[in-house]
Amino acid sequence: MTVQFDYPEDREARSAARAHALEALLIEKGVITDATVDKVLGYFENDMTPLNGAKIVARAWTDPGFAERLVADTPAAIAELDLPVGMAGAEGEHLQAVANAPGVHNLVICTLCSCFPWPVLGLPPYWYKDPTFRARAAREPRVVLEEVGLKLDPSVELRVWDSSGHSRWFVVPQRPAGTQEMTEEQLAALVTTESMIGIAEVPSSVA
Amino acid sequence: MKLQHHLGGLENLGPVAYEPRVFVEEWEQRIFGIHVAMMGLSAHLGDALPEYPIEDVPTAFSSEWTWADLRKGAEAMHPFAYFQYRYYEKWLGGISGFFVSQGYISAEELEAKAAQYLRDPERALPAGGDPRIDDQVVHYLREGDSPRRGPAESPAFAVGDRVSVKDVPPTEHTRLPGNLRGRTGIVERVFEGNYGYFCSTGPDGIGEPMPVYIVRFEPADIWGELAEPGAVLYGELYQTYLTPAMEEQR
Repeated sequence: MTVQFDYPEDREARSAARAHALEALLIEKGVITDATVDKVLGYFENDMTPLNGAKIVARAWTDPGFAERLVADTPAAIAELDLPVGMAGAEGEHLQAVANAPGVHNLVICTLCSCFPWPVLGLPPYWYKDPTFRARAAREPRVVLEEVGLKLDPSVELRVWDSSGHSRWFVVPQRPAGTQEMTEEQLAALVTTESMIGIAEVPSSVA
Repeated sequence: MKLQHHLGGLENLGPVAYEPRVFVEEWEQRIFGIHVAMMGLSAHLGDALPEYPIEDVPTAFSSEWTWADLRKGAEAMHPFAYFQYRYYEKWLGGISGFFVSQGYISAEELEAKAAQYLRDPERALPAGGDPRIDDQVVHYLREGDSPRRGPAESPAFAVGDRVSVKDVPPTEHTRLPGNLRGRTGIVERVFEGNYGYFCSTGPDGIGEPMPVYIVRFEPADIWGELAEPGAVLYGELYQTYLTPAMEEQR
């Protein structure tokens, strides 16, 4: 591995130049337009963000019937809500919710790549894509969770879902204590991306 | 055999790099957007369930480009480099290499243009393009590309069946996590319908629509004494990867 000894100092500048050069050439050649990349990014900045997942979770917390339907038939339950068009679109074609409960905690991983439920959670954070996380969470999930700040009681069954097929998984975390008086909107503000992947619990107040 | 097909359970990697951001450099967004555009303009979408009018889209892109292609690129990397480079660095290498290998651009013009942007990072992108290209990309994002095909044929396994995971031959690309090969588990769920994959993986076995299962594995059956107590591992596995559990494996 020559990169051990020959590591370019301008790695980021070179990558940036290459990415911009590629985009420029693809526009010139008529593959994409001058607006394509910005439209894609806008789709994820405006429509497909973790706020969708947070709204789904908050509804599950306030409507037990919805919570049951969400796990039994996730796409149909999500379609009940007023969310952006495309919840069953790219990387949402086969959404699947798994629910935490007293004594049960779920964790979603992807050991082969970085499958992620885009319409529900937006784009995956770097740690989820990290090969070290993916490798270690399969065998020592409790140790990994503790490293990132979640200590599970030994009595809790930890269910690890490896996204190797068509499903795109997300976790319905448990509703935190002391939130009985909160509205659905206030509850949604508590829900984090990390809690919907399974590496955190939901705090009882916004940090 | 590829390390990338056997990541689950790899030892001695040290702490997880806990970086909660999606992108850590501005350029990463650009290569992400290019990849999504390629998926949304892929020639195979004419056969997708929404029946995209892909032949009418006025793009110069005429190739197939799916997750399978991106994954094949990452799985073709030197295994050390796979760990060494950041996620979108791998994408940048794979995608720019694809456009060069398919003749859309030449390596020389990419280098020349990159040199211009290296000298002048603020240099503006060229203007123009037919908005119907963007319409198709957004159409794809909202409608997706489901691998489900029906009607469901009679699945070979039922909930509660004990199944063993085959050790299929190593190939360019697979959706069988290496840590599950040769292991025995219990069918937890049989999905409705059959599920294809973007491409045939050859002797690995996926591509044509087939049943898919959730199989529950006991970590101790996979990792032995290294398994953590109190955990369950679920794999989502295509039927071709499974065989009835042998009696002696019980």
